[in-house]
Amino acid sequence: MERGYWIRSKPVYTSLVWHDKATSHLLVAQGDGGMAVLKIFQLMHPKQPITVLYACNLNSKDYAKTLKKVVPEGLQILNSEEDVLLTLNNILPNMSMGMRLYVAGSEGFIWAASECAKKFGIEDTDIMKELTGTLARSVYCVHCKATTHDITTNIGKCCGCERMLFVRDHFSRRLGAYMGLMVDAESPGILPEIEEIYP
Amino acid sequence: MSTIDVKVSAIEQVTPLVKHFTFVKEDGTVFPAFSGGSHVVISLNIGGRIHRNPYSLMGSPEDTSAYHISVRRQERSRGGSVYMHENVTVGMPFKITYPVNLFSLAKKARKHILIAGGIGITPFMSQIADLERLGADYELHYAFRAPEHGAFAERLKKTCGNKLHCYVDSLGERLDLSVLMGNQPLGTHLYVCGPNPMVVSVFEVARNFGWPENHIHSEQFLAPPIGEPFKIQLARSKKEILVPAEMSMLEAIEAAGVEADFLCRGGACGRCELQILETDGALLHNDHFLTDAEKASGKKIMPCVSRAKCERLLLDI
Amino acid sequence: MTLVFKQETFRDDYRYSNSPSGIKRFPFPFAEDQYMYSVNIEPHGKGKQGSVNEFAFDVDEHYVAECIDKGITLEQDPGRYESLPHMMDAQWDFLELTMESHAQDYPDHFTLKKNGLNWNWENKPLGIKDSFVFGDCSTLPMDPFEYMGRQVQGDFVLLDQRDETLYADAGFITSQADWSLAFNIGMSWKEWHGPVPRVTELGVMDRALKYLMNLQLGSPVRRLNWTMTINPRLDTSPENYPFWGGDRNKVNKENVSDLVHLRVELQALFRLPRSNGIVFVIRCYLINLKEIATYPRWSKRLHRVLKGLHPDLIEYKGLTKFHPLAVDWLSKFDDGATIELGTQPE
Repeated sequence: MERGYWIRSKPVYTSLVWHDKATSHLLVAQGDGGMAVLKIFQLMHPKQPITVLYACNLNSKDYAKTLKKVVPEGLQILNSEEDVLLTLNNILPNMSMGMRLYVAGSEGFIWAASECAKKFGIEDTDIMKELTGTLARSVYCVHCKATTHDITTNIGKCCGCERMLFVRDHFSRRLGAYMGLMVDAESPGILPEIEEIYP
Repeated sequence: MSTIDVKVSAIEQVTPLVKHFTFVKEDGTVFPAFSGGSHVVISLNIGGRIHRNPYSLMGSPEDTSAYHISVRRQERSRGGSVYMHENVTVGMPFKITYPVNLFSLAKKARKHILIAGGIGITPFMSQIADLERLGADYELHYAFRAPEHGAFAERLKKTCGNKLHCYVDSLGERLDLSVLMGNQPLGTHLYVCGPNPMVVSVFEVARNFGWPENHIHSEQFLAPPIGEPFKIQLARSKKEILVPAEMSMLEAIEAAGVEADFLCRGGACGRCELQILETDGALLHNDHFLTDAEKASGKKIMPCVSRAKCERLLLDI
Repeated sequence: MTLVFKQETFRDDYRYSNSPSGIKRFPFPFAEDQYMYSVNIEPHGKGKQGSVNEFAFDVDEHYVAECIDKGITLEQDPGRYESLPHMMDAQWDFLELTMESHAQDYPDHFTLKKNGLNWNWENKPLGIKDSFVFGDCSTLPMDPFEYMGRQVQGDFVLLDQRDETLYADAGFITSQADWSLAFNIGMSWKEWHGPVPRVTELGVMDRALKYLMNLQLGSPVRRLNWTMTINPRLDTSPENYPFWGGDRNKVNKENVSDLVHLRVELQALFRLPRSNGIVFVIRCYLINLKEIATYPRWSKRLHRVLKGLHPDLIEYKGLTKFHPLAVDWLSKFDDGATIELGTQPE
């Protein structure tokens, strides 16, 4: 299906580094994203105010304790990814131009935070993003419009319509998901080999 | 390139240096609507030579019965503005291009800050009409030399009310960019149009305050500079042309009967870009379009405003 | 000019065909015996009388049937129309452009009367008559873009120009060749053109973007693109792929010339005045191999083009399963004689 294509919609993630021009810094992280925050605090701290929001998740190490030691002030440890996003939503209205936003965590978390920031006029190109922990993909089923999370294989079952979806390398920032297309529409029941390629 | 036949229907002296021209269509029909920040390019026949100058449309985009431009008299220029001031009279016909917008409002912005210096107010006149129509949050900061040079300040006061902030240089009034940019809500976009030092300092302050590049917009048309004459060779049309001191490369190419692409003629849009096949001299890049790396590579040039110091410049046209 | 509209279907029983004059004006896309993917943009100027390029928007014998099919597709999946909030000016631009050109070019079928901002629109073929205030959404039964999107043949994407690129921020997509509006909306040029064939010349998409960013009001441009579809089906969407994908297995030696359709997209781009956006029009024309064979010049040409098609393109366009059958059927028309350059039927 994918052989004749090459795809440029896939986001590129970097390592977090401080913006040297800013009026304040806001870091939001989830799960293994805590490591990315620790790494950026190894670099020389900027003099502007810094806020860090963090929550661990079930599959990752909890970095809260270490972060408390490393982040001098402005750290908030939250109970869940949802709480991080909620808190982000609550503090953004009080921020002004010149605040720079940094996000670290799973791909799903990065784009959920990005979608939240977009409401306040922050474009995703203005956000520094680091992908941590897993390459697992969120997959949007183009047939039933359900999004299935944490797919680690080239082909996965849709949580909505249960069709087997081929995970295309085509990414929507708005949905925070890759495109999933029924793999056996032309040959019902005949599936290519299923392999783990997004561990 | 599609053009519109127009004639001058009114001329108004707005300040000692600025004239406001109103155009209507020759055939009496209405103009196309346009978007705030658009400009048109007017063809002027000055002593047998065609000058094409870009001017911002400053009427309301919703008023399609007439187009309005304002021209500041520039004494040390190639004569386009002086011609507009001294020779153009009501009833004279012209050809203008369809509106082009290289300075459009960011539709997703949550707030707009407009900063104008002198005649740089013109693109904002139509943008203000759009912002008012959309009910958008905005501020207009307008700096000019002396009270008599504040073209349209009175008119703007009526439209913008307390969103207008004027700074009159002769009265010692200054716009404090740090105060302005230090405390704006997220999602604010900044627009600047005015003399080069003003544009440069607005960009510098915004960057220092951490504003992302895509939130800062400027419009600066360059007039083609006067320079030394030089020779160019056109590979595809097999011609050699002398570019005189007071003519741009693009004008010289057109005068030689070779059709070249163009849009803004002010070094901003990139449409007239030409590939350089060979040269024996130095390129004098004057445009805002090419990146520094592209300029340094010596492979491309914008013939509307850039020149060269050479005997040989072989262009792919 | 008064058109006669055919009663047809683009699904289920597929009651669809081209009349002899419809075949003759078909926008056959191959001027040469070889096909290479390219951007091939040209001015969308007034073309020859009777041709699909005669007017800015071509209305043909399939008009009524196609508009009915759009309605069915939208009813089943309202997500085929979507518009982000900042696109309202572009929506009105679209309504103005399509109403004005239809009324001007097909006065027997469409009329537009303006009294300031009070507009009266009549679409006789579809039996629509409405009065509304231009710029005031509350005076129309739905968004202006959806309103006219339902009354004009083709698919439409409204592009917003910002940050030195174009964003697909609104769309009305009911006859697409394998791309999903619900998935793609809001994407930038580069994201949206992610999937292009690997054989595309490097940098061609960047150059096309640069060109379109400078597209001028009053100077629209067009290009042709093509693929092949089984059955005269407009809605070959990825959304409904489970329902039409299997049709590719149904092609055999006997039915190949009836089932396999050349699908030509006449893509036109217009700069929009108030929004400074661009409308990208994708108009689909369908013709089966049997109808193509009306003109020996076309069947010979298509045979050569398909036979020499790069394997990546065969895969990209989804032709793999029936490509050999189509080439084989067309081969009997090809005597090997030289055909002059050009797309004309005779």
